[in-house]
Amino acid sequence: MTQMPRSLHALKSLQSLQALQSRRRFLVEGGFGLGAIALRALLHGQDPAPASIAGKAPIRPLLQPGRPYTPRAPHHIPRAKNVLVIFCSGAVSQIDTFDYKPELIRCHGEALPGGEKLITFQGGQGALTKSPWRFRPRGQSGKMISDLVPHIGALADKICFIHSMQGKTNTHGPGENYLSTGYTLDGFPSMGAWISYALGSENQDLPAYVAIPDPRGKPQNSVNNWAPGFLPAAFQGTDFNARQPIRNLARPTGITATDDAATRAYLQQLNERHAANFPGDTELLARMASHELAARMQQTIPAIADLTSEPQHILDLYGAESSGSKIGDLRAGYARNCILARRLVERGVRFVQLFNGAYQTGGEGVSNWDGHKDLLAQYSVHGPVLDQPTAGLLIDLEQRGLLAETLVVWCTEFGRMPSFQQGAQGRDHNPNGFTCWLAGAAVKQGTSHGATDEFGYRAVENVVSVHDFHATILHLLGLDHERLCYYHNGLERRLTDVEGRVVREILA
Amino acid sequence: MRPTKLPQRAAKAGAWTTALWLATVAMRAQTHWAFTPVQRPTLPVVAGLTSHHPIDAFIAEKLAAKGLALAPKADRRTLIRRLYFVMLGMPPENAAVAAFVADRDPRAFEQLVDRVLADPRYGERWGRHWLDVVRFAETNGFETNRERPFAWQYRDWVITAFNDDLPYDQFVREQIVGDALGAETATEFLVGGAFDIVGSPDPALTAQQRADQLDDMTSTTSTTFLGLTLGCARCHSHKFDPIPQRDYYAMTALFAGVSHGERALPPTPAQRAAVLDIDARIAAIEPQLTRFRTVKSELLASHAHRTAVTYAHNEEVLQPVLARFVRFTIAQTTNAEPGIDELAIFANDRNVALATNGAKATVSSTLPGYAIHQCEHLNDGRTGNDHSWISNEDGKGVVQIEFAKPERIDRIVWARDQDGKVRDRLATDYWFDAALAPGEWQRIASSDDREPMREASVGPIYNLAAASPADAALANTLLLQLTELRKQRASTTSVVMVHAATFSQPGPTYLSNRGDPMQPREQVAPAMLSLFAPMTLAENAPEQDRRKALAAWITHKDHPLTARVLVNRLWQYQFGQGLVSTPNDFGKNGVPPSHPELLELLASEFTASGYHIKTLQRLILTSDTWQQSSAPHALALQVDMACRLLWRFPPRRLEAEAIRDSILCASGNLDRTMFGPSFFLHDVDRENVYHYHQKETFGPAESRRMIYAMKVRMEQDAVFGAFDCPDGSLAMPKRGMSTTPLQALNLFNSPFLVQQAGILSQRLQSDAGPELPDQLQNAWARIYQRAPAADELAAAQKFAQHYGMAALCRALLNANEFLFVP
Repeated sequence: MTQMPRSLHALKSLQSLQALQSRRRFLVEGGFGLGAIALRALLHGQDPAPASIAGKAPIRPLLQPGRPYTPRAPHHIPRAKNVLVIFCSGAVSQIDTFDYKPELIRCHGEALPGGEKLITFQGGQGALTKSPWRFRPRGQSGKMISDLVPHIGALADKICFIHSMQGKTNTHGPGENYLSTGYTLDGFPSMGAWISYALGSENQDLPAYVAIPDPRGKPQNSVNNWAPGFLPAAFQGTDFNARQPIRNLARPTGITATDDAATRAYLQQLNERHAANFPGDTELLARMASHELAARMQQTIPAIADLTSEPQHILDLYGAESSGSKIGDLRAGYARNCILARRLVERGVRFVQLFNGAYQTGGEGVSNWDGHKDLLAQYSVHGPVLDQPTAGLLIDLEQRGLLAETLVVWCTEFGRMPSFQQGAQGRDHNPNGFTCWLAGAAVKQGTSHGATDEFGYRAVENVVSVHDFHATILHLLGLDHERLCYYHNGLERRLTDVEGRVVREILA
Repeated sequence: MRPTKLPQRAAKAGAWTTALWLATVAMRAQTHWAFTPVQRPTLPVVAGLTSHHPIDAFIAEKLAAKGLALAPKADRRTLIRRLYFVMLGMPPENAAVAAFVADRDPRAFEQLVDRVLADPRYGERWGRHWLDVVRFAETNGFETNRERPFAWQYRDWVITAFNDDLPYDQFVREQIVGDALGAETATEFLVGGAFDIVGSPDPALTAQQRADQLDDMTSTTSTTFLGLTLGCARCHSHKFDPIPQRDYYAMTALFAGVSHGERALPPTPAQRAAVLDIDARIAAIEPQLTRFRTVKSELLASHAHRTAVTYAHNEEVLQPVLARFVRFTIAQTTNAEPGIDELAIFANDRNVALATNGAKATVSSTLPGYAIHQCEHLNDGRTGNDHSWISNEDGKGVVQIEFAKPERIDRIVWARDQDGKVRDRLATDYWFDAALAPGEWQRIASSDDREPMREASVGPIYNLAAASPADAALANTLLLQLTELRKQRASTTSVVMVHAATFSQPGPTYLSNRGDPMQPREQVAPAMLSLFAPMTLAENAPEQDRRKALAAWITHKDHPLTARVLVNRLWQYQFGQGLVSTPNDFGKNGVPPSHPELLELLASEFTASGYHIKTLQRLILTSDTWQQSSAPHALALQVDMACRLLWRFPPRRLEAEAIRDSILCASGNLDRTMFGPSFFLHDVDRENVYHYHQKETFGPAESRRMIYAMKVRMEQDAVFGAFDCPDGSLAMPKRGMSTTPLQALNLFNSPFLVQQAGILSQRLQSDAGPELPDQLQNAWARIYQRAPAADELAAAQKFAQHYGMAALCRALLNANEFLFVP
């Protein structure tokens, strides 16, 4: 069944070959000037779906093959350019940090009303228990914040506290999924992936989205927190921290810099020769461009992760040098990650996700905020480790003028009970009410939004769901959470599922 | 929304007729193309088309309408490479290329296709695609992410099914109701999804976890076989497709008796008969040995040790003691919360612990949410996992039996599963106390004198020290026989473990208001989607009947979706894009087919062929459309850049697994061993939460095809995960094909690639001899299956002389020519 070449096809092929086969011309027109080539409307893997959702047409950003991080326009005028998330893994107790409840102090030792029938994650409830840390008024606003986090407390006038957060799971894995992806189940794209998909990045030599795990290890739900889910792999968080570089970034051991560069150049020759047979094929060109970006990242990332140029007063501000104590070592490790986070924001990385607390190692609550059994001992470590570096980071961002355009988000997967657990000296999980806070980027300063009941157990006033929280973050970035979509497996998916309301009350 | 004019049929699997189907779908004809019956189209006549292949007629017709035409055929080298990459997932051997290029037989390609379809690598390639669709992985996901050590059995079943060309209808049936068809392993399909094992006494959490499991089973079944998304109907009636919320819950009721779990494959009838025979012989011997049984104190005196605990039978021989209460305290288990199927306590061979004898059982806790694991099963006289108790404390639990009156007890018999099916949750560290009144506890037996847990240990200990010589001789003879019989029994029943679904009769299913399982509304009977031939089962229909009915419904030859969805998947993996580009959504929100009539042709051919996948694939492969060149041309790029009309064969990057396999293939390092337990790309830290650390060095153990690599949810392979490799958390009917700098870094710098480049360079030297040009020829043949052009050879020679063969191989293995389907 040999096929006769059809005349039109043959003619056009010939013309296009003649036009493009000259390698020089090819390089000028298309090799590395991708803009000259007609763009594919959509990346492979995504297809248009005809239906719109409730009158709001989905907005799916146009992606350039091989240049996934090119900046893309937001939906409306943004108030923030970048996001810096500080995620405290293990569920921070609102009772012992930011949610001051005089009634709890008064009723210390009494039974939680209705608590006798209440079964939480690990079982039954003991008595209402006030925080072992004293609360004091902070800043001009007089916001009551505990002695566990005095440095952050001192910045109360910069912060917008949301005390009425409400989740829907009391298990760490689904809880971290929920805060990071908007779904309790595995497999959905993280907020950072959504945002880098939507907006690309200001810096073409760095990933748009960096996740910085705690020096003690990954958070409890591990890479799910920065996963791309069904979005293109380009939008996953690239994870590294001040201690651990990006895997496979460095030149392999045993290969000299000269040999490495020559091999790269030779590879480029091979690819150019091959691409000349496929004029106009963007996929091939995209892969060639990705090698270029990779080579640039090999230069830029080690330079960013190298903190030796940071002056002493900055190291001191963050608490980045250890006195040699265990807490000092942990604080210094987290502080160095905080400095790295600032350096990434400074260079235009769109989304930085900084973790405090690692997976369960050595028992509950030892390396994260999961204080079930011995709250006083465990939080006496976690509080100081978090406090000064986090405050230092806020101060440093502000003094460099970055806070105005950077949204800082402090969050945790859920809260904890105002009572101690039966037979234990700590608090069980509680998704019914917890605290998160925002700072920077046109968020109202020195305010508190929403409230829990008199004991801090359940959000009762201006309840903010996790979807609302996400919708608000997207809004500040100039994105409409109801329209930012990606078609997957039969549905126009959103970060906020089919819910979410922008919490306009906290916008300046 | 429900069709009201059609008769509501009573439940009987497969009882509805073609006429009913046609009547139903005719009602839907106005609604949506995919819900109408498949209709075999007539072939279009296309002027100037030389091919007589029906596929080409449909493709050429659409091309002609846009002023385009099929491209010329690809050359033979390209064809065989494409065929191997697409159908086998790795490049062809040089000998195969040479033979095909030289083959003068006009039917050479058809013969090559037949050989390729018969190649066992075919099942590995196509099995991988299927595993994407059914969200297969070998860990539980969520934060604990523990392994499923037997999950690979399903992967092997899938590979075998593809290689054997198991007809698709049977393939579907076995995955839904394989337990009724002698294909238990296939039912892992139902429970292959991520599974949150973190338990809690919190009832809302437990209910939500179960609802999520059912949603996973229902949604996966629906997207996989029907190309329909049901997920939104969990909370409200579907916005795009005629699927009311009630239908969603009716579908979940089909799976309501299905649970996650590992279990032993049930014995075959022959095994069963052999075991019955052996058991009868054991039963004849054992009473003759009763008088030689030791009691605990003698054992302790002689420092003898009892055998370790077993899953199916444990006996405690006591110094007779008068007791009103017996307490069984478990301090450690083989894994998870302890489980006991029956606790029997004997006084003179009468089981005084039985509830029917007036005894009462109490426990420290009970695993919430399982009717089959309640306290009352401890002493109900029924054995097996379905009538067992499981505690809600990891590794711990306490059971107490209060007799109707004080009893002089002398023996305790307990087990995890006396039926011998379940092998988990076994108490390994425990003790029994007895008391006449609460508080007067006295230790009567414990695990202290048992050997540590080992598999296949047996029965009580006999002490012949006090026996007469004649008795001792008799006893020894009998014991030898007993040992031999037990060995035979063990080998006859040696268990094959699978991560397959476990089944039990479910309670009623309720519609959940707004998807919240804590807000049940009206009861819903198990039923198929009312969109098609209505079929409702009784509310209390037997568990297996529900899935039988579902399998029969999906595989009914007139079901409008089953064949369409599958042939579209085949087309997608053969061309890189489906005729319907939304492979899991054939509903109104999906994208209509680019070539509707062609889809009809393929679907009707597929059904007519008896659902043979290979037959349909052969049809596609032998078309000019599939064999045309992949070279671009400017006009066509302008008209149809995405190549939806197929004016060329669309080139595409290889998937993660195909790249890794092809690298190993090129370096000559690929271990072609098929099947069996997975190899690990990670080192595993097995804490409460499992941690997976990427291996930095690889040996022969990691050189098998990537489908045999332990599929870990969340933690991807550090090199190939970045190539849009799904992690099995959600169904992935179509992989992304993104291009990222991390991919470039991984492939250029990873220890894996550098190692393989080194191995390849050595192999070139040993295979091709000391001359550089020979080595280069060999390299091009191994990697690109062609000879290098003169300018390439010259450039390569120059490069290799300066930087060495290993550097050259590193570049060659990173090149686009190696990574793209030609």
